[in-house]
Amino acid sequence: MLGRLLLLVIALVLAAAVFLVGRYAIDKATRRDTSDRPPPWRDLNVLSLAAQVVALGLIVTVGAWLWSNFRDRTDAIGLELTFDFLDQPSGISIADNPLSSDAGIRDALQQGVKNTFLIILLGIPLSVLFGTLIGIARLSTNWLLRKLATAYVEFFRNIPPLLVIVFLWGAVFLNFPIGASPTAEAAWRPLGGWFIFSNSRFAFPSIIGLDNFGLYQLLIAASVVASVGVWVWRTRVFNNTGVPHRRALWSLATLVVLGAAFFFALGGPFEFSKTTVEDRVWSGGFRMQMPYAAVMSALVIYTASHISEIVRGSILAVHRGQVEASHALALNGLQRYRFVVLPQAFRIAFPPLINQFLNYTKNSSLAVAIGFAELTSITNNLFGNSQPAPQLTLILMAVYLFFSLVLSAMGNLVNRRLQLKGA
Amino acid sequence: MNKNSKLLRLLAVLFAIVLIGAACGDDDDGDDAEPTETTPTETAAPVEDDMDEDEGGRLAAVIERGAVNCGVNDTLPGFGIVSADGANEGFDIDFCRVVAAAVLGDAAAVNYTPLDASQRFPTLQSGEIDLLIRNTTWTASRDGNEQANFLATTFFDGQGFMVRDDSPIQSVADMSNTNICVLQGTTTLLNLNSVLADMGVPFSPVEFQSNNELQPAFVAGQCEVWTSDASQLAAFSATLDVGTRVLSDIISKEPLGPVVADGDTEWAQVVNWATMATIQAEEFGITSSNIDDFADSENSNIRRFLGLPIEGEIAEVGLGLPTDFATQIVSQVGNYGEIYERNLGPLGLERGVNALWTDGGLMYVPPFR
Repeated sequence: MLGRLLLLVIALVLAAAVFLVGRYAIDKATRRDTSDRPPPWRDLNVLSLAAQVVALGLIVTVGAWLWSNFRDRTDAIGLELTFDFLDQPSGISIADNPLSSDAGIRDALQQGVKNTFLIILLGIPLSVLFGTLIGIARLSTNWLLRKLATAYVEFFRNIPPLLVIVFLWGAVFLNFPIGASPTAEAAWRPLGGWFIFSNSRFAFPSIIGLDNFGLYQLLIAASVVASVGVWVWRTRVFNNTGVPHRRALWSLATLVVLGAAFFFALGGPFEFSKTTVEDRVWSGGFRMQMPYAAVMSALVIYTASHISEIVRGSILAVHRGQVEASHALALNGLQRYRFVVLPQAFRIAFPPLINQFLNYTKNSSLAVAIGFAELTSITNNLFGNSQPAPQLTLILMAVYLFFSLVLSAMGNLVNRRLQLKGA
Repeated sequence: MNKNSKLLRLLAVLFAIVLIGAACGDDDDGDDAEPTETTPTETAAPVEDDMDEDEGGRLAAVIERGAVNCGVNDTLPGFGIVSADGANEGFDIDFCRVVAAAVLGDAAAVNYTPLDASQRFPTLQSGEIDLLIRNTTWTASRDGNEQANFLATTFFDGQGFMVRDDSPIQSVADMSNTNICVLQGTTTLLNLNSVLADMGVPFSPVEFQSNNELQPAFVAGQCEVWTSDASQLAAFSATLDVGTRVLSDIISKEPLGPVVADGDTEWAQVVNWATMATIQAEEFGITSSNIDDFADSENSNIRRFLGLPIEGEIAEVGLGLPTDFATQIVSQVGNYGEIYERNLGPLGLERGVNALWTDGGLMYVPPFR
């Protein structure tokens, strides 16, 4: 390390010499008057350049030192740093996934990425929704609601997410009735069996298409366009005449009426599917594994406690005059939030919200503790069984980095649109 | 600032980068005082002048440190668990102590690193631990791909299955579409996949990182079947508060024993012979309580084993171990039979294939001479 630092100093001195000599030559060539220039050790140009070179040199030196440490170790034990292993059979299988254990490691990792994505996909919107409600509740004039929301936030915001996950899994989800039996007879089946809750899987009704389902989907798309048209029409009527627009009601009614009409016209193009359990096989409906439900709920509960504070702060940051003005316009509480406060608060809340989305994404790796086969879990499995840890860790880092960068890019895009022009 | 000056700055910075790069590159040839710093491009050179603990120097490093860094399990009753008073104890733990007694003469000189199944090989590869004794199965691909060096097997095990005692499941063939609880990163998981796939039995794996989560999941009925090494199932069966039944099906061979990292033969030999000394001691009938009686033994094999002088000469086997290493092991930790009875006896595990070869078991070690 000492020798390297010495070389660094020599490099620095040489670089400074090159700079000074070069500048002297240029000054000579361009006949520039240099009488007002301070000596090099007080020249800001020279000093800032020196500082940059030192910083860069330190980074490169430390990086090279870490890398050579790593290579020493991999050489000593003969670990190869190639990615050929990705084509070997993974030897693992994944719950509720047809992937066979003969499939390549690449495929197993892809399934892991997919499962990680599923945690994010459903969880982030739910966190925002839940967090917003709690945030508003914290500002409520209702004493009980306000205190309950405060207790919730202070409790969940101040314990580690892993604890929330393991606690919720062990104390709530494991205590659902047993589902791992031939017909899951013990499971809780509310609403005539359309829903099933057990400690192995959850099931919800879903839609399955019959004859003409493709055509029906097209017609539904057309109906959506029609209802948007109705929305625009009602808005115009309101703007022109002042008649209450009731556009939400109007367009919803359009959609429902058209959807029902087409449904009967096509002779019932879809039906609802109910999950059935026979010989331990769960089929039909929309099913999820208990660990998925557990980890997602836990992360939503945890993240919502952070989001609610962002929402509360943003609402308080909206100028008081805005609220007073909306009172003066005789808007009721709901209208005040919907039309005046929330749109302005959202603009303030959005940048810190992106942070929470990133945190949520990274926290999804904690699912490994309760056995949901997301990416971290699958990677762990692989490097316990003869697959190289450095490369797999690199892949793991790259995937989480990718998720985070995409999320923040999307967030920045939205944020740019939300910003006040000229602000 | 004019354009020329900007260009000049850029040039100076580039020049500095090149110089620094060259400085890093020159380090191996020019500067032998820093053997730990090598460049990625010259992988052949550093191996020669790198005489630190990675290159045959781990024994010296352990002696200098005065303690053995041992990677262990801390959640498996009988093999490696943390007792009520916070001490690591178990069958595997005792072999960490055996190595410490042999190398350092003090069985207590062990630093324990608790590891998950999935962390154990990366930790061993990184050199953070000297030795991994964590119910780890010896397989060809681990020997090859994990840069691990598997030593004498201390426990011959096989993979079994456990269900609740009221379960209808009687054998592997009944396990169609069941949820099966299994630990991540284990050979158990690989065996489960390959054996059940060969039998055409579909199943749904529920994988956990630690027994701390797997156990409540099994008790709550999230999975109907728990698969693991048969010895572990027996150990848990004895400690769980639900009635359980261990099936008779055994689907694999699981030889468990100490593991060291590749690339250091000296250290591997030391660990190997220290481990095997416990078995030899049992064969000789030497225990921690009667070892003093052997001080004036007439049997030259026993005298050689215990490092006692034969006609005034103490035999030197050249392993880098003290001559009395076996004496230290037996007097401080005990022989194989004692270690077994102390840790696995209370769980009701029979010796079975783990008996000495003289009793019809598999425990057979090369002669100590």
